[in-house]
Amino acid sequence: MNPSASALSAVDDTAVADYDLAVVGSGPAGMAAAIDAAERGLSVAVIDDQPLPGGQIYRQVGDPVLQDRNVLGPDYYYGESLVQRFCAATVDRIDRASVWEAGPRHLCLSRDGRSRRLGFKALLLATGAQERPVPFPGWTLPGVMTCGAAQIMLKTSGLAPSAPLVLAGSGPLLLLLACQLLRTGIQVEAVLETTPTAHYRDALRELGGALRGWRALAKGMGLLAELKRGGVKHLGGVSELRALADSEGKLDRISYRRRGREQRIACRTLLVHQGVVPNVQLSRAVGAEHHWDALQECWRPTLDSWGASSIDNLFIAGDGSGIGGALVAEKQGRLAALAIAARLQRISDQERDAEAAPIQREIHRELAIRPFLDRLYRPAQEFLRPADDTLVCRCEEVTAGEIRRIARGGCAGPNQAKAFSRAGMGPCQGRLCGLTVSQLIAEAREVPVADVGYYRVRSPIKPITLGELAAMATPAKELGAHDAKPAPAADAKH
Amino acid sequence: MSAGLMPGRCDADVAVIGGGLVGLAVALGLQEQGLKVAVVDEGDIALRASRGNFGLVWVQGKGDTCPEYARLSRLSARLWKDYAAELTDATGVDLQLSQIGGLYVCLSDDELAQRADMLSAMRDTLGGDYPFEVLDHTALKAKVPEIGPTVAGATWGPEDGHVNPLLLMRAMVQRFNQRGGLLSTEGPVLKIEPNEGGFRIHTRGQPVAAGKVVLAAGLGNRDLAPQVGLSAPVIPNRGQVLIAERVRHFLDYPTGHVRQTGEGTIQCGDSKEDVGFDPGTTTDVMAAIAARAVRMFPLLEQVKLVRAWGALRVMTPDGYPIYQQSEQHPGAYLVTCHSGVTLAAAHAGPLADWIANDRVHNELALEAFHAQRFSL
Repeated sequence: MNPSASALSAVDDTAVADYDLAVVGSGPAGMAAAIDAAERGLSVAVIDDQPLPGGQIYRQVGDPVLQDRNVLGPDYYYGESLVQRFCAATVDRIDRASVWEAGPRHLCLSRDGRSRRLGFKALLLATGAQERPVPFPGWTLPGVMTCGAAQIMLKTSGLAPSAPLVLAGSGPLLLLLACQLLRTGIQVEAVLETTPTAHYRDALRELGGALRGWRALAKGMGLLAELKRGGVKHLGGVSELRALADSEGKLDRISYRRRGREQRIACRTLLVHQGVVPNVQLSRAVGAEHHWDALQECWRPTLDSWGASSIDNLFIAGDGSGIGGALVAEKQGRLAALAIAARLQRISDQERDAEAAPIQREIHRELAIRPFLDRLYRPAQEFLRPADDTLVCRCEEVTAGEIRRIARGGCAGPNQAKAFSRAGMGPCQGRLCGLTVSQLIAEAREVPVADVGYYRVRSPIKPITLGELAAMATPAKELGAHDAKPAPAADAKH
Repeated sequence: MSAGLMPGRCDADVAVIGGGLVGLAVALGLQEQGLKVAVVDEGDIALRASRGNFGLVWVQGKGDTCPEYARLSRLSARLWKDYAAELTDATGVDLQLSQIGGLYVCLSDDELAQRADMLSAMRDTLGGDYPFEVLDHTALKAKVPEIGPTVAGATWGPEDGHVNPLLLMRAMVQRFNQRGGLLSTEGPVLKIEPNEGGFRIHTRGQPVAAGKVVLAAGLGNRDLAPQVGLSAPVIPNRGQVLIAERVRHFLDYPTGHVRQTGEGTIQCGDSKEDVGFDPGTTTDVMAAIAARAVRMFPLLEQVKLVRAWGALRVMTPDGYPIYQQSEQHPGAYLVTCHSGVTLAAAHAGPLADWIANDRVHNELALEAFHAQRFSL
C-alpha cells in the first residue's frame, strides 16, 4: 500500500464524514491505536500534518533518505514495521492536514487550504511531545536551533546543520543526536552538559528503577563511549550559556561558565535541548483538565489508566499524556483503543481487561527508568526561569523581566499577562513561552506553578486563513466573496 | 495576591468591585477626586468582558431607543481625547486612540436603507443635532479603496473612533498603581457586608473595608447587587472575536465589524448570541464573521487567523446601563454597561464625580439609567 495515500482526496467538499474514532497524530500512539481499533471493527480516521506516518520519532521511516542505516540506528528503524502495519490497516489516513479545532463530536481540519468538519464518536489525541522551550541569552539568533529540529532535518532530508557545531543542554536526545551527527561524518566541536551536578546525586535515589531499565542505561553508556571514540569534547557542569552574534547578527560563538571560569567556543551552529514536554495545545483547547507534573516540570492532561480525559469520549495517549517515550506511547495507544472499543460496546469489559493486562505490564517495565531520567535531566533553573533580559515570547518580543514586572504589579496569571504584555498572543499561540511565563509568574508571586495555571488556548490552534474559515459559513454560497453578485446600486455608478 | 492591604481597618474611601474597564475607569476617576480607592478583582480565570471587546469608541446608532444614552455616548466620545492624553502622559502608554470617524458597512441596499432610516429617526429625536452621512458604494470606495465590490455602502459617523483596549487596560492598571491604589486579585467577592460607616467586602483573602462600594463586576453584579438592596438584571451575551495577523495598513477607519489596529492586526467581530455562561467559540459563528469580513474587504481572504475567542458581554434587558445608588444602603452604587470602552471617559469623569461628590452632570441623566425601569 502506498504510504502517502490520503483518504480525503476521495471525499467531496461538503461531506461531513462520521467515524467511530478520530485519531489526531500518526506517531507510535496514534498508529498503534488505529491498528487495534480497526481490527475490532471500528471505523477510524487518522489525521496528521505530515505526508508520511511515523510521528517525529519515526519521521520518514516509510521512505528513508539516509543510505546508511547505522546513522539513525535500530530504534528508528524499529518504526518501519509499525508504519507498515498501519498502512495495511483499514484506516482512513488523512495526511498533510492540521486539526485546528475540536468539539465534543466533531473536529475541524485544514488540508490544501480548505477546511472541513469531521465527525466522531470518540477522539484520541496522540499529538506527542514538543521540545521544551529553551530561553537563554541569544536563543533567538540565526544559527541557534533545537536538537529536535536538527534531527528532523536529518530524518527528512539527510542534511546536517553547518559546522562548526556545538550541542548544549540536557537529556537523552543530546547524546543521541551528537552520535548520529558524528556517524554522518559531521565534526562536533563539543557537547556541553548543563545538567546541574546535584541532579546526578538526586538521580541515584532512583537507581533501582534505572537498573530495571538497564537497556536504556546501557544505550546511554554506549553513546558516551561513542562520543569519546569520536574525539568529541564532552563537558559537564556547564552554566550561564550564551549565544553571541557577529556583526551581521548571526551566531559566531558561544560563552559559558565551567569550573568557575568563563569560556568561549567559536561555532556557526548551536543545537540546544532541555528535554521534551507533552504537546498540550489541542487538549487545552478542548478544555480537558490538566495538572502540573513537578518532576517533569510540565503540564499534563489528567487521565485515568486507559487514557480517558475529563471530557467524555476524549482519550489521550503517548507523550502528549506525559513523557514516556516511543515504546510506551505505542502501548498506551493500544490501551486507549481497547478502552474506546469497550466504550463503544464492540468488546466487553472482560475482553478489554484481559487483553490489557500484558500491555499494562510492559508499560510498567518500560517506565521503570523514568524516575531516574526525570530526576537526572530536570532542566537547570537558568532555563526554566531565565534572567530578566532574556526574551521569553519570541513572537511579541517580551522579556522575562517584563513578565516579572507585571506579575509584581498585580497580574494574577498568564492570561492577564497576555493582556498586559501581549506575551503568548503571537502566531505560535504560546507554545514557545507558555511554560516559562507560568514559571516566572509563580516565582514573582511566590506561589506554586500549579496555582498560577496556563494560557487558555484558543482555536484555531493551527493557522488558517480568513478565506478558508469564511468558506465554512452556512450557507457558504450566499456569503462567499466569489459568488455574491455585485450590488446593483454600486454597479450603476461604476 | 494583595498589594498592601492591611487587615481589620478601613482600607479605602471607596472599594470598587471589578477590575475591568468599567471598574478601573470609575476607580481612576475617584482617585482623581482625591479619594483612596481599592479595586477588588478576580484572578487569572474570570469571564472578563474587558478582554474580549472590540475597542470601539463609538457613537453612531447608539441609543436609538434611548436619547439619554445617545447623549451619554457622545459626551464620553468628546471627553475621550483629554482622557487618553492624560493617561498617556502619566503612564507613557500610547493608547492608539483615533477619532477621525467610523463606518458601519452595509452589505445590501436594504441593510443600508434601514440603517439610514434609524439614524435619521435618531437625528429627529435629538432635535437635529446628530451628525452622520450615508455613503453609497462609490463614496465608500473613495474613503476605503479596498472595499469589496459587492458592498452596498456604509453609514459614516464623524465622531466615531477606536482605541487599543489591551493597552487601555494596561495603562489604567499602571495609573491606578501609580496613584497608590490597592489592587486585590483575591476575588470573586463572596459577600458585601454593610456596616456602620461603610462596607466590608469579603473574599477568600483579607476582607476590604471601605466607606463606599461601587459594584462594577459585570455579570457578577447580578448576585452582588441584592446584598446592598439593588437589582442588576444582567445576562450574558456572547460576542466572538477573530484576530488575524498583521497586514499592511489599509483601513483608516474602524467599522462595526472589522478594524485594523495601530500595529496592523485585523480584528473581526460582532456576533450576538444568548448562550448562557459559555464563553467559547463556535465554528459556525466564526465562519459567518469571517465571511462578512472577507466580503467587506476581499484582501482579507488570504490573511491568516491568529486566534479567536468568545467573551460574554454584560447586557441589561434593554441594553442600556444601570447607574444607581442604593436607597437601602446609601454609599453602595451599581455601575453596569456593555460599552466599557466608549463610556470609559464618562465613567472616569461625570460618573466618578457623582459617586464622590453627589454632583450630577447635566448629560448624565441618572433617572433614565435607574434599574426601576425594568420593574415598571
